[in-house]
Order: sequence, then structure tokens, then C-alpha cells
Amino acid sequence: MSLAALLPYPVVLPLLVAGVLLALGHLLPSRVPEVVATLVAIVVAVLSVVLAHGAMDGTPVLWFGGWTPRPEVTLGIAFAADPASAGFASFIAMLFAATFVYAGGFFDKQRATFHVIMLLFLAAMQGFCLTRDIFNLFVWFEVMSVAAFALTGFSLRRSSLAGALNFTVCNSLAATFMLAGIGLLYARTGALDFAAMGRKIAAAGDDPVIVGGFCLVSCGLLIKAALAPFQFWLADAHAVAPSPVSVIFSAAMVPLGLFGFTKLLVQVFAGSGQVLAIVHGLLMALGCITVVVGGVMAWRQRHLKRLLAFSTISHVGIMVTGVATLSGVGLAGLFAYVVGHGLVKGALFMLVGILLATKASVDELDLRGLGRDIWPAGVTTAVAALLLGGAPLGLLHAGADLIGAAPSGAGTIWVHVVVLLGTALTGAAVLRFAGRIYLGLGPDPGDEAEAPSEEEREQADRPLWLMLAPAAALLALDVAIPAETARTMAARLVLPFAPLFPVVSVPPPEDWAIAEPWLSLAGTLALAGTALFRERLPRAIPAATDRITRPLFAGLEHLHSGLINDYVVWIAVGLALFAGWAVI
Amino acid sequence: MTVLPWIVAVWLLGIGLYGVVSSRNYVHLIGCMTVIQSSTYVLLLGLGYRWGAGPPIFYDHPPGTPAVDPVVQALVLTDIVVGATISALLLALALQVHKRDGTLDPQEIEPLKGQKR
Repeated sequence: MSLAALLPYPVVLPLLVAGVLLALGHLLPSRVPEVVATLVAIVVAVLSVVLAHGAMDGTPVLWFGGWTPRPEVTLGIAFAADPASAGFASFIAMLFAATFVYAGGFFDKQRATFHVIMLLFLAAMQGFCLTRDIFNLFVWFEVMSVAAFALTGFSLRRSSLAGALNFTVCNSLAATFMLAGIGLLYARTGALDFAAMGRKIAAAGDDPVIVGGFCLVSCGLLIKAALAPFQFWLADAHAVAPSPVSVIFSAAMVPLGLFGFTKLLVQVFAGSGQVLAIVHGLLMALGCITVVVGGVMAWRQRHLKRLLAFSTISHVGIMVTGVATLSGVGLAGLFAYVVGHGLVKGALFMLVGILLATKASVDELDLRGLGRDIWPAGVTTAVAALLLGGAPLGLLHAGADLIGAAPSGAGTIWVHVVVLLGTALTGAAVLRFAGRIYLGLGPDPGDEAEAPSEEEREQADRPLWLMLAPAAALLALDVAIPAETARTMAARLVLPFAPLFPVVSVPPPEDWAIAEPWLSLAGTLALAGTALFRERLPRAIPAATDRITRPLFAGLEHLHSGLINDYVVWIAVGLALFAGWAVI
Repeated sequence: MTVLPWIVAVWLLGIGLYGVVSSRNYVHLIGCMTVIQSSTYVLLLGLGYRWGAGPPIFYDHPPGTPAVDPVVQALVLTDIVVGATISALLLALALQVHKRDGTLDPQEIEPLKGQKR
């Protein structure tokens, strides 16, 4: 059997099993759907690894129904697994397997429903990774969204319903934009296949319809990727979704939006000078803004899941600065960073879920000192915080390193400063809550400890080790892959993914690049230290910094109003930014 | 193709967005989302239209007769299905919100209301 024949199965298998579970779920003992779903995720991960491995010798392509392209006409729909796409697909399936283990016993009351929707979600993500047809990509995008909407509102609690509504409205607007963009692109290229469109676009030269199509399609995908000013829905949705779902959202779904955008950019639009100019200018700027907004907002939260959600926004910004360099090294950085970030952030959401299950709260001040009896979770959180804060170790560091090494043109130094700031702020925010909850550090909040949030609690009778093991395993995987190996592996993935942006050579680390992770780590420790030992500092220092930062914080928080009308205004502003930049 | 479908599409997008932005009722807001979707359908059908061409069905006339582009029609048909799913889901969520809070005003039901510092 040739490799290409394997291509549909990562999608077909979870879909099929989801159908069977839906039909038979009420007859099966409650643990069976869990075990079946975990096994399916593992099989899908293995399938995708086999595909990725085989694809190193040439990308397998499967034209469904034998509709192979003829000269000048491409009507068929194809799946193609370049090593990067198949590798990402396999990472996602692995993450699902870890999440299913973590969620063991979580949804006992709902029987198989949760696992059915999750398998649908998994199938959609696999299809999104493997397809090479833009309309097919759109369909998987929609399937993914519908599954995600349902999962967000799963608990039917007040806040989760409101979060799901915001999420649904923003993301279905995204889908509408994407479809309109696909229409415009089809009008000019007469094809929906990536390669066929890419050839036509390269031949067309500068064409306003193509640029318009690009703006619409990329706004659609970037709303999913939560790039500023499209990021508002993310914190609402991630904060209220059940913890196992938040794991998948932050670690897989949001980066997948950016991955899809990047794939279109390098495989379809690489021949259009105007599009590349937009990406190099506007996207770099928006990426930097996203890093800062996400970092600052994460630092300001006391609701732990909201804190992690904002840190995801910040890290997406860092990934975008890698893509916007339009270089092979930047793309290699994206691959390594996406996986490293997914591992660490997935673990962190699991750890916060442990607090929600055992302590019935996700409020930092409310939980002060209450985590002492589950100290293994504390140690794991601290390790994750240091990795997030730039510790020079493992996959996440390799990604950050490659992104930093990619040439970003004028203003390189500012990009570095911004990335450093975002890394330190998010790492410090996590370290701060770890210190406060597990060690009881920081000033006594007194009356302020009363959590303003509604009572929430997730299924409590699950064994601690079962929840902790997948989180620790994800972190161990991140650390176990040496940075040097990760750099070379990521660089090898770029050529089949983006033939026009080859990695000429992975640049040797420069002197300041060696200092960079230590710098951000020092920033992480210093920031977390000032927050936790505030009362021991001379009083003038906090007072002075407060005066400077308070208006900035207040302004940013005012923008994140939670009001869907405001969010849609920002989406319209973002669309106008893209269109305006294209015109100028 | 004339310029008219473009104008209609942009107009529908504009009033739909205005409706969503100014809406104080989720059912109204979901209706406006449908208007925005319709703007895409008008755009797509306009792009595939050819003057004097028939429907792309070659059952009773030979292949090669001028026909409008069937691909965009397939795209629209697919999206109508997906759009219906999403509208249904949104309405179901809105219904649940109304059951809990007795209101459909977005300003009354912000997520994490009061959970920020």
C-alpha cells in the first residue's frame, strides 16, 4: 500500500468512531468511550507520524476519486502531507490522547457526548492540516469551529454560555470573511487547489482582486489565531471552557489558525509582491502589538485560566513575528515554537484544572497558600513557568531561538525587545501564581481574597496522579528534545512546506542571542519577585511604577469589555487595516 | 458581470455589520449575522454568473452549452448548510442564556462579569 493511500485515515477514523460512539454511547459502560477515544487519538498520532516520516522522501498526494489535474484545469480535491503538516497533525493527535487521559472521569455524567464532539474536533484538525484545497480548508475550519463552540458552552453555566456566544459570533464572522475571500481568489485563478492557485497568482502580478481576497482570507484565519485586534474572543472562551477543552484550544486550535495562514501564504501567495509587502510590514507590527497586549493583560489577571489565555495571545504574537520575517529560519522557528508552546501551555491548563478540581477555585488571591498539600503540582507549575519565561532548554527555547535568529529587517532590535518583554511577563505571571498558591508567598490579600467570580468546580473525585501525569509527560517531552536537534529537525521541515523560502543555513547563535534567554529568565524572576515580595521593597518603587503603569493597564482592561458589539467593531477595524495597508 | 452584485454585496455586508455592532438583542444579532452571510452568497453567485448561460445541468442539453459556473454554486450550497448549523447553535446558546438570566441583551450578559479586577 502506498503512503498516499493512508492520507484519508487520520480524518476518517475519528469521524467513524465518533458516529459509532454517538449511536451506542448510552449502551456502553461509562469508561468505554474514554478508552476508545484515547486509543483512536493514539492511532491517529501514529498514522500521522508514519505519514510525516515517509513524506521526508517526497510529499504524498491523494486526489480523491481519481480527479487528477489536467493541463490548465484542476477540478479535483487533494490531500497532501508535507512533513511539517503531517508532523503538526500528529502533535495535535498526541495532545488529544494526553487530554483524554487527563479528562478521565471528568465527564461521567455526560456519558459519551464529550468524547464524540472531541473526536469530531480531532478529525477536523487533521483535515485542516492535510488538505491542499482552499475550500476544503474552509470546510474543516467550520467543522472545527462548530465543535469548539459546542465544547465551550458544554457546562451550560452562565459564564460559559456568554463566552461561547462571543466565541461563536467572532469565529463565524471569520468564516464568512474567509468564504468571500475564497470567492474573489477563485474568480481570478479559476482554481481552488493550492498549487494551481499559486501558479496563477505568480503569473498574475499585482492584482487588486487577489490582494482583496488575501485580506479577507487572512483576516478569517487570523481571527482564529487571535492576532490583535482580533484577539478579544479568546480570553472569554478559554477562561470559561472546561479545562481539558482549554488545553486543546490554547495548545492546538489557536496555533493551527496561524499555521493555516502560513501555509496559504507560502504555498498560494508566495508569488505576489504586494501580499508579501503587507505581511512583512503590517503583520510584523500587529505581531509586536499582540505580544505586548497579551503579556500585560496576562500579568494583570487573577483568574488563572484567563491569565493563561492572555499568555497564549502573547505567544501567538511571537509566532507571528517569526512568520512575518518571510524567511526559512523564521518558519523553522514557527514549527518548533508551536509544538514547544503547545506542550508547555497544555500542561499549564491541565495544572490549573487540577486546582479547579481539588480546590474548587481558579482565583489566585482566593487560593493563596492552599496548594501546599498538592505540592507536586506546584513543582510542575514552577518548571512550566520557567520554560515559558525563556529557560534555555528544550523545544520551546529552540523555537524562540530560531525566531530570534530570523532576519526581521529594520527595527530588528525592537522586535527583540518586545519578544523579551512578552516572554518575561507571561513567565512571571505564571511563576507569581505558583509562588502565591503553592508557597503562600505574597502579601495577605485580606478582604480582597473573596473571588468575584461565580462558584465553579470541576469533577473532583479524580485521582491526582491521573491528572498530573499527562501534564508532567508533556513538559518532559518539551525538555527531553535537545534544542540543537530541534533546530536541525525544524529546518529540514521547511523546504517541502515552503519551496520558495528555503533555509540556506541555520545561523550560528550570535553572542547576544546566547544572553537572550538568560535575560528573559532574569526578567521573569525579577517581575515575579517584585509581585510576591512587594512589601519588602522600599515603598517608593511600587508607588512610582504604579503611577506610570496604571493608566496603561486601565486602558487595556477597558478595551477587553466582554461586549460582543465592541469585539465586532475591532474585527471591522482590523479588516480595514488590512485593506488600507494594501491600498497604500 | 455588472457592478450591481458588488454593490449589493458590499451594502449587505455594511448593514449586517452595523446591525451586529449596534444590536441589543441576541436574536436580532444572529439575524444580522445571516445578513452578512448572504452578502457572501451574492458575491459568489455574481462571480460565477454568465450572461445568456443556462444552469450547469447537462441532463437535457449537450455538454459544451454555455452554463454558469457550478463551482461557486457548490460553495454557496455548502456554506448555507454550515451557516444553518451555526445559526442553530447560536440560537440554542441564546435560548439557554435567556433561561438563566431572563435577558438577551449582550450588555447584560458579558462573560466573567465582575471577574476582572
